[in-house]
Amino acid sequence: MKVPTRRPEEFLPLTPAMFHILLALADKERHGYHIMREVDERTEGNVKLGPGTLYGSIKRMMGDGLIEELEERPDPELDDERRRYYRLTDFGFRVATAEAQRLERMVRSARAKKLLPRTKSG
Amino acid sequence: MSKNLSKDTEWFLSIYSILLLVYPREFRREYGSQMVLLLLDCQRDARTAPARTRIWFRTLVDLVRTAPREHLEKIRKDNNLMRNLRTDLFAIGGCILIILAALLLLNYGRSHQVSSILVFGFALDAIAFTGVVGNLIVFLLIKLTRFRPLRVAFFTFLIVSLAPAIALTVIALAVDPKFNAPNVLIGYVVSFFFWYGLHWLWSNKLRPSETA
Repeated sequence: MKVPTRRPEEFLPLTPAMFHILLALADKERHGYHIMREVDERTEGNVKLGPGTLYGSIKRMMGDGLIEELEERPDPELDDERRRYYRLTDFGFRVATAEAQRLERMVRSARAKKLLPRTKSG
Repeated sequence: MSKNLSKDTEWFLSIYSILLLVYPREFRREYGSQMVLLLLDCQRDARTAPARTRIWFRTLVDLVRTAPREHLEKIRKDNNLMRNLRTDLFAIGGCILIILAALLLLNYGRSHQVSSILVFGFALDAIAFTGVVGNLIVFLLIKLTRFRPLRVAFFTFLIVSLAPAIALTVIALAVDPKFNAPNVLIGYVVSFFFWYGLHWLWSNKLRPSETA
């Protein structure tokens, strides 16, 4: 596995596709179609990743050490053995966290400028 | 692939497999089969004809959008490789020239007893020795590991300069009490700053940007 030498902040801002893929992999490992479905469901159909966008992003994220491919293949009786599963690396988790914090700061700024309604706690 | 699939879905998947030729070969080899498999899953899940048509349309738009990006990235990667190769050759050539110049100068000074050159004899000796050993280690470490180049250069030249300086001083003083230990030490200190300074200059001022 490639060992990243860069800081998580150097990857920000992430493209929307990359951030959605990281979010999809944050709780468990998934294969391509599973990632696509998770993003579709979580965004209520607003974000639909095409095959080129999905695998182009996966290629770049693997190159940057944000995600990795699982070596073991699924049981042929339970799943199609041609499927490749991906999971988040520790570094990928840190990058996703840094991006989430960046977005949180932006949302806070938008609230301060009254572009968004204030939350009860804020 | 064709289990329980309608004719039009099979036809579309065949067309898509051909259309994948618009992506760079490496990308196609690595992800082509996964992309077809993904589309197959999408088609299986789409229950109505309009839903399948929407998937086809979206997939074609995605292909038109992403294929040029993959080609651009490949071109950029190839350019970077060539630029890195040229830069490496230039750096190695520069080091060899410096070492040869130091050796020639030293040789000339000794054979013609040129005092102004011999004053720097210890430093030239050290520069030639640490230049050969240190640069070889630095080059290998940079190429084979992902350590930071400047840090690698610092520690390598520190060790490569300190080790022979201390060893020479200890051994030579035991054999020959008239051995000029301070000059040898100064020579290796000069050599350390010379080579590390060159690497610092190379990293910060001279090396063309890799991200350009």
